Amino acid sequence: MKVLGVAYEPRDAGELLRAASSLNAEFHILAAGRAAENAEEVSKYASKAYILKTKSPYSIFKAVESLVKQEGYKLVIGEGYRNLRDALSRVAGSLNMPMATDAYSLEVSGESVVVVRGFLSERARMKVEVPLPAIVLFTQRFTEPAEPLGHGSIVELKPEEGPERVVEVKPKAVGEVNLEEAEIIVGVGRGFRSKEDLKLAFELAELLGGQVGCTRPIAADLKWLSEDRWIGISGKRVSPKLYIAVGISGSPQHMSGVQNARIIVAVNKDKSAPIFKQADYGVVADLYQFLPVLIRKLREKLGR
Amino acid sequence: MDVIAVLVKASLNPDVIRVEPDGSIDVKSIPLKISDIDRNAVEEAVRLKQKLGWKLIAVSVATWGPISARMKDLKLAVQEALAKGVDEAIVVADDSITPGDQLTTAHAIKTALEREGVRPKLILAGEATIDEVSSQVPGRLAALLGYNYISFARRLEVEGGKVIAERDLEDYVEVVEAPLPAVVSVTQEINDPRPPTLLQIRRAARKPVKTVTSSELGGLEKPRRRILEVRGIQVKRKQVILEGDSLEEIAEKLIEALVKEGVLRL
Ligand SMILES: Cc1cc2nc3c(=O)[nH]c(=O)nc-3n(C[C@H](O)[C@H](O)[C@H](O)COP(=O)(O)OP(=O)(O)OC[C@H]3O[C@@H](n4cnc5c(N)ncnc54)[C@H](O)[C@@H]3O)c2cc1C
Repeated sequence: MKVLGVAYEPRDAGELLRAASSLNAEFHILAAGRAAENAEEVSKYASKAYILKTKSPYSIFKAVESLVKQEGYKLVIGEGYRNLRDALSRVAGSLNMPMATDAYSLEVSGESVVVVRGFLSERARMKVEVPLPAIVLFTQRFTEPAEPLGHGSIVELKPEEGPERVVEVKPKAVGEVNLEEAEIIVGVGRGFRSKEDLKLAFELAELLGGQVGCTRPIAADLKWLSEDRWIGISGKRVSPKLYIAVGISGSPQHMSGVQNARIIVAVNKDKSAPIFKQADYGVVADLYQFLPVLIRKLREKLGR
Repeated sequence: MDVIAVLVKASLNPDVIRVEPDGSIDVKSIPLKISDIDRNAVEEAVRLKQKLGWKLIAVSVATWGPISARMKDLKLAVQEALAKGVDEAIVVADDSITPGDQLTTAHAIKTALEREGVRPKLILAGEATIDEVSSQVPGRLAALLGYNYISFARRLEVEGGKVIAERDLEDYVEVVEAPLPAVVSVTQEINDPRPPTLLQIRRAARKPVKTVTSSELGGLEKPRRRILEVRGIQVKRKQVILEGDSLEEIAEKLIEALVKEGVLRL
């Protein structure tokens, strides 16, 4: 069987190889996005690497479509970046292939593939079976990268231009955080009334040697914090030792991003907020009253 | 008259799931509701309809059966769209395509539009639904219809036969233009949907809703996905509520607990 992995970030190549290696298959990679800028690196993880220097979902769609048609790939795998969801959903439509997204694991049995995937906004897992040929998109960073194989051949493909025209590209503002590495994270939600008030959370985080993360509305709607602090199903997945959720209701979309935290503390003034069912320690209080007290107590004990 | 179509899904409501003692979930026990981001799509479609003077229809395909038990929820989801300003609705409901998959849904939408003889200039959808969260249907539909596709739009305009949209990607935003006809998926940030007023809801009762079956559409693609199992994610947290006579006392207790857990060093 032939499997095509579509890499968008350089690190995807090794992760997709790990997923493919249990399938006893011939594994090739199509590298687009930032992965295409690292052809040498990516080609270490497959016997053949196609390089497609573009982020355009139309161009990725057309390239995968023609590779599946010409080379007979039975399974196309990738990770769930927005541009890949776009490109591969079009391949699925055009070639009438089943597609499963948000996958955590995959097995091939005979002529079908069995996938365990996120379901019900990450409140459940669904195990499904679809016939091959099929497309499977994993959640980002679903596994550790495999060891490199050596050097595969490199084939550069020319991106096919689409009917759409990109008028402007604006990089997003990034803060100086790397939440994935943080041991302690103070998460802020809409319980804060203004951007200025977030300084309470920053003060607490600094005292603990941690970072500040947030819910989607804080970054995406209110734009109080940069989007690299956004935690959840459509943001970052983090795994700190300690997550302190302040003024956060506990929606499944947010909580799926912190399920690997060892200890979760919730501060919320509503005692029936769902977050308390998903926390180890809960404090029912107004954050504006509680945080200053907590900060003062910590300062006393830490002597700072 | 030019037409905008908006896709509306009656989704499983993830806020009211019941996990059985053995960890399994029976999807038949979960009620349906309009998918949250479809509300954003409807709001945007109504805004564009008013601006452009086009007709606005909603298309909804039932994914979760049995239809007889689901009809009320299916109708409610569509009623909300009608109340907000959609002119009429088509609902595809047939037990032969439930539980559905995205391949079936996209195919059913295309077939229903063709049977009705409508070729929308613009089709709007939410970036994902709250049950499947897969973002597949709009892309599949665009490919099936041969339309242009703009995904994850957080701003949208239609001008001079083109859509101009701001696509919201992980680490950048891009402004793109594409000629109509097009399918556009919108993000939650595109607008702030208001619930319909009582008057709007009452008026919507008179708007036409056409419910069609697979055979009335000349047959539909059957789902290829087989659901083997659905399991709830067990949250194994301690759920200790810290109490005390004062906030000082609670703060002390919290610090003590965190030190004991080994996640805080003093
Ligand atoms: C497809 C999809 C994807 C999504 N992806 C994400 C995601 O990746 N990340 C994410 O975070 N969200 C995501 N969301 C949004 C999510 O559903 C919630 O809307 C969001 O997480 C809520 O954020 P919040 O907890 O900050 O706000 P709210 O739900 O409004 O909660 C605010 C909380 O603050 C409390 N509060 C208010 N005032 C005070 C006070 N003075 N002191 C203490 N507590 C107070 C309130 O009791 C309330 O519980 C997604 C939604 C969808 C549909």
